[in-house]
Amino acid sequence: MKTEAELEQVLDQLYAAGPPRVAADQAVSRLREQVAGRQPQLWYGSLADSAVGALLVAVSSQGVVAVDFGDNEARFVDRLRQAFGVRPDRSVERAGPAIRQLDEYVQGKRSTFDLPVDLEACSDFQRRVLEAAVAVPRGRLATYGEIAVRIGAPRAARAVGQALARNPVPIIVPCHRVVAADGSLTGYSGGSGVDTKAKLLRLEGAAIA
Amino acid sequence: MVAQEPKPEFADLVEAHAREIHAFVWRLLREDAEAEDVLQSAFLRALRAYDRLPRGANYRAWLYKIAGNEARTQLAKRARRPAALPEDFPALAPSVEHQAEQRMRLGEVAQAVEGLPHKQRSSLILRNYQGLSYAEIGEILELSPEAARANVYQALRKLRDRFVTGPAAPSARSRVEERVR
Repeated sequence: MKTEAELEQVLDQLYAAGPPRVAADQAVSRLREQVAGRQPQLWYGSLADSAVGALLVAVSSQGVVAVDFGDNEARFVDRLRQAFGVRPDRSVERAGPAIRQLDEYVQGKRSTFDLPVDLEACSDFQRRVLEAAVAVPRGRLATYGEIAVRIGAPRAARAVGQALARNPVPIIVPCHRVVAADGSLTGYSGGSGVDTKAKLLRLEGAAIA
Repeated sequence: MVAQEPKPEFADLVEAHAREIHAFVWRLLREDAEAEDVLQSAFLRALRAYDRLPRGANYRAWLYKIAGNEARTQLAKRARRPAALPEDFPALAPSVEHQAEQRMRLGEVAQAVEGLPHKQRSSLILRNYQGLSYAEIGEILELSPEAARANVYQALRKLRDRFVTGPAAPSARSRVEERVR
């Protein structure tokens, strides 16, 4: 090439037009399908009035992903969008079984849950903590320190407390059965806080003050 | 407190940016099938990381960055394979010999661009062919806008030094460099 103008012309020939339209259309439409196939689908429903107040419940195809105290549907939907990058659809059919079981449970008509739980969005540590909480039997209590020991991180009692405070599926994963070392019912962010924690524990027949 | 804009759904990011990102990776690779693969792996990687991305982030720059890195990996894989010759470019030369010569030259230039350092190559394409500003390029490549500009300049200088055989332009600033603004 003699001149820079020629070089410029060659570069433009190589790059200006960009991809052939057919190739671009095909790549984007296949991508769309791939992404749709990999995104979790979420559904949710609500229980206007239960023994522990209003509840919102979301499920994926794998199990229950979220239980929220209260009736702030917009905030619940937004939180799910943040966590999963997908908008949940209201579906009585999908969320119904979880809602029914929760309702029965807080009325004292059911003593265990027969529901899969999807903890895919949790960190490994949090998942281990939540699984250890599930292992605490109904009517019994464990301390944050005991849970820490059970998951093999005896010094992590505080982190255990934080992981339980962020429990995405309260009631079903019974973080309310985990208490402070002195037995006090500290920290419950759901419903009316510690009162709700006490209510759930009394319902389960735990010996609390 | 002012409510922050909610994070878009990932499918909306695909709709908003996939075509542009595809053009970018295609320009880096100049090969249909590879560009499609790279686009797909970049977006699926992004999808896996999406819940960790804070809301209000620059989603477009983030996708560009991931796609650029995927394309770079792909280019490294084919480092020793010659770039595809552009079969379907309109013939500009009058004779068959000229056409063949021109095709060869296109291939050589494409290969030289491919051989540039990642940041130079990406800056050149992002600026001159994707139409991004230096600030936008800087965000994608984690550079200051000045450094992004310098990368375009260096890319063009290397190509000019290698391919332009004629005397240097009489003006202090060359034509190719003129475009780096």
